[in-house]
Amino acid sequence: MLFKSASVPVAEFEEKSGWTFKPEGACKGDVCIPLSADVLESETLELEAITEALGLPMLVDEKHGLYAAGPESIGARALVTADAPSLVLPDLDGQPFDLASLRGQKVMVYAWAPY
Amino acid sequence: MWQDLRDELHKQNFELVTVGLDTLGEQGCRTYIEAAAPQHPALIDQHHVLAEKFGVINIPSAIWINEQGVIVRPAEAAPAPPQPQTQQTPPPAADAPPMPERFVEMMGEAVKIKSDAEAYHAALRDWVKNGADSRFALSPDEVINRSRPRSADVSLGHAHFDLASALELAGAHAQAVPHFRKAHELVPDSWTFRRQAWSLEENPIPGPMQRFWQGPSPESPESWPYEGDWLSDVRKVGAENYSEPFKP
Repeated sequence: MLFKSASVPVAEFEEKSGWTFKPEGACKGDVCIPLSADVLESETLELEAITEALGLPMLVDEKHGLYAAGPESIGARALVTADAPSLVLPDLDGQPFDLASLRGQKVMVYAWAPY
Repeated sequence: MWQDLRDELHKQNFELVTVGLDTLGEQGCRTYIEAAAPQHPALIDQHHVLAEKFGVINIPSAIWINEQGVIVRPAEAAPAPPQPQTQQTPPPAADAPPMPERFVEMMGEAVKIKSDAEAYHAALRDWVKNGADSRFALSPDEVINRSRPRSADVSLGHAHFDLASALELAGAHAQAVPHFRKAHELVPDSWTFRRQAWSLEENPIPGPMQRFWQGPSPESPESWPYEGDWLSDVRKVGAENYSEPFKP
């Protein structure tokens, strides 16, 4: 996941990482990692601190102002829960489409590439 | 390619969402999406979030999600239905220039790639009809267990890939390459990480096939910045192992 600032709004971090901030900590599936109260009450997150707390690797390219964090590996699998992650991607016109808008239907997400 | 099967299953409360994975985003995907003129959502994934969020490592692959938003099959090879004859590429004209030898060799390998298309589409129809009672709908534990292995190294490889893509988009190609290389080293089972990087290298091939060359330029092979390329990597694993077989 990519960020363009060293500190980011909680909502942006939640959307990109799939971790949800709750009173008991940062949670994904059945896993919750406790966090200090000041982190949980903050509206922005310092990437260096939150990635360290969640065990996520992070790379910084200061020249270009880029911050790249890897996904969690705590479960040793790509998925830590079978609940589909949040996915919002643009169509050709740049209009965002939310996968969750298809709840109530069976869905196949099909990955392809033009190369 | 999927439109007919999607239309058949759409009547049974099914929807197909196609996602094009390409650092070049809309610019890279537009021609193909416009040619397909899909009736279903056709999205663009410029940052390969499907790799991070679902464990996609190759294309074509797919994930099945039930009405409640629960994954019932994690990312796996998803062979496309056969193309109707009317949509197939016409044979080249008699006076067309000969195909470069590399493409001839690549096509020779591509035809050896195995695909369980019939079994896969039969399974999809069965799931759409029978839902949770389908033997192809996996339990949540099985879904997690069948998703790709992810070590700390793999996670770090994703970060390198994300940074490489962002540098590429920032016009810093030379700075992107070392991060693509690191991603390839740390996530060796990802064909999309490799093919994406290879497809961004320049070569003298004109037209839409340019991005499929994915290997050293015949004019300056020494400038190829990667350990592998499509042809040598496919030969190394064996084309018949390129795509994982469908596992019911």
